[in-house]
Amino acid sequence: MKGNIIKYAQDNIDTDVIIPGEYLKIHDYAELATHAMEGLDPDFHSKVKEGDFILSGKNFGCGSSREHAPIALSHSGINAVLALSFARIFYRNSVDGAFLLPIEIDEDTYDGISEGDEIDIDISTNEIKNITKNQTYKMKPFSDIIEKIISAGGIFKYNPDQN
Amino acid sequence: MGKTLFEKLWASHIVVEKQDAPSLIYVDRHLVHEVTSPQAFDGLRINNRKVRRPDLTIATMDHNVPTNDRSLPILDQTSAIQIQTLEKNCKDFGIKLFDINSPNQGIVHVIGPQLGITLPGSTIVCGDSHTSTHGAFGALAFGIGTSDVEHVLASQTLWLEKPKSFEIRVEGKRKNPHAVTAKDIVLSIIKNIGTGGGTGTVIEYCGEGITDLSMEQRMTICNMSIEAGARAGLVAPDEKTFDYLRGREYTPKNYESLVDSWRDELKTDGDAKFEKQFILHIDDIVPQVSWGTNPGMTCDVTELVPSPDEFSKGDLNQKKGAQKALDYMDLKPGTPIVDIQIDRVFIGSCTNARLEDLIEASKVIRGQKVSSTVKAMVVPGSQMVKKQAEDIGLDKIFIDANFEWREAGCSMCLGMNPDILSPGERCASTSNRNFEGRQGTGGRTHLVSPVMAAAAAIKGHFVDVREWDLN
Ligand code: SF4
Repeated sequence: MKGNIIKYAQDNIDTDVIIPGEYLKIHDYAELATHAMEGLDPDFHSKVKEGDFILSGKNFGCGSSREHAPIALSHSGINAVLALSFARIFYRNSVDGAFLLPIEIDEDTYDGISEGDEIDIDISTNEIKNITKNQTYKMKPFSDIIEKIISAGGIFKYNPDQN
Repeated sequence: MGKTLFEKLWASHIVVEKQDAPSLIYVDRHLVHEVTSPQAFDGLRINNRKVRRPDLTIATMDHNVPTNDRSLPILDQTSAIQIQTLEKNCKDFGIKLFDINSPNQGIVHVIGPQLGITLPGSTIVCGDSHTSTHGAFGALAFGIGTSDVEHVLASQTLWLEKPKSFEIRVEGKRKNPHAVTAKDIVLSIIKNIGTGGGTGTVIEYCGEGITDLSMEQRMTICNMSIEAGARAGLVAPDEKTFDYLRGREYTPKNYESLVDSWRDELKTDGDAKFEKQFILHIDDIVPQVSWGTNPGMTCDVTELVPSPDEFSKGDLNQKKGAQKALDYMDLKPGTPIVDIQIDRVFIGSCTNARLEDLIEASKVIRGQKVSSTVKAMVVPGSQMVKKQAEDIGLDKIFIDANFEWREAGCSMCLGMNPDILSPGERCASTSNRNFEGRQGTGGRTHLVSPVMAAAAAIKGHFVDVREWDLN
């Protein structure tokens, strides 16, 4: 999985800046995506490209249970968010709905990757390659069950007796 | 070894349990609202599924209902569509709905307990993070996203990894219960343990500082568990809990026999061990005011706006976060909190818009007027709260003081309906989130208790309500 980094060097990016409340009425996901990150970075929609990744600090996605948050990011083209840690409901929503991959990283990885870097994530080896800087980092592996839900394609496709 | 209350609730709801894997947990009550449910119902239709237990599913509309005259049509087309969609979904799937004209309409976390739908010992979910509120009754209650809403609608169950148990003990009884409120207790807790301090845990609030609280105050505490990152908050039920629920519209017929079993079972055993613990003393808690852009960025009303340097002990991001918050809030380090001038006051939300909250706030403003520089509003948590308040004349007290008195809903807690802050406006709010833009783009939120909000409305700036006579 290759893409470029959009870095928000801060902790506690909350669901209200990922998708402000006034847009929760929007039923059309493509339209919802045009407002992604609007509360923090009004230029996000114009700069994000299909396949990009977001990199951020601790407690990413804290706040509301709105699934609109991972949906808006995923429909903007974001395939994964790399963060020092995630808020639980955001993490769960991302995985259950198969919207994007929430990838936990350590401080060195966080410091090592800069805005715009091209990286290649391989979840089978838990490796993150920084193509721009020619460095390699380790991501925190997904737990067994999360990996199974991810490979099933979300909670509805996951069957504990088969997988 | 004994078990914690959480472990008992968990064990009694397991449908399937496997080693090193999530457990399938049975859901006793599923509360539904208009914002996080439409896609879930769409999913059921696409897959030709029914709602498994419509009788255990209850819906209301709260997030984007207007709070002005209910006889007028809803002007915002997208809101109107979302509300009509919920009406249609409830009709198609046979779910009980308290719609905009129902006397039982209100914020989902206010009406559940009020109607006797929230019961001790049960599991409750809702597509809303503040579902933790219901934990005040000794229920295991947590927020879920829309995919999980669909899963619960279809199966009445949920896959969950077992959280850890976290004891937060508040020692001592309040000496000034009108000025130091449940909101101040929970803001102090979050300030101390941080917005990620409860991650992966279910918090049980214990100690005299908690048992001393009324049910409505306990709800305020459990409500904000999610702001500490916890999955849920709990208070062991006691006689106050049982009294509160007795005789309500949906309280079960065999209530007294249920109470007998709850009395014995629903408590943490003396020799049980929590995986985490935090203790604070009630005497160390004074009225709180948030200064930043998350609920952990809170200080005592007697303090000064902090400098980002105070956060340099932690990592760089903390200092940067504090600086960014101060910039957004347009506050200078060293400014006394009581010197911060406000433009708006919002008394409302599932945290602090119950009858007691309104009674306490009314004592502050009785016979006074809102400052000429401030616009203030009260949005009762439910139509029932509104009616009860009107029955004892609170509406008159608020209106006489120049507060607006509105219909029930989430309103300016999240700014989905027309009740929003304008860019740059500063608000003393009894809600639970002070995130950037939460109450409207560019709006600045200070989280406070109802009495602190009411006093700020009168003075036009924050004041220490301990100096006021509130008896
Ligand atoms: S009042 Fe606010 S926090 Fe509570 S349910 Fe409504 S929007 Fe959510």
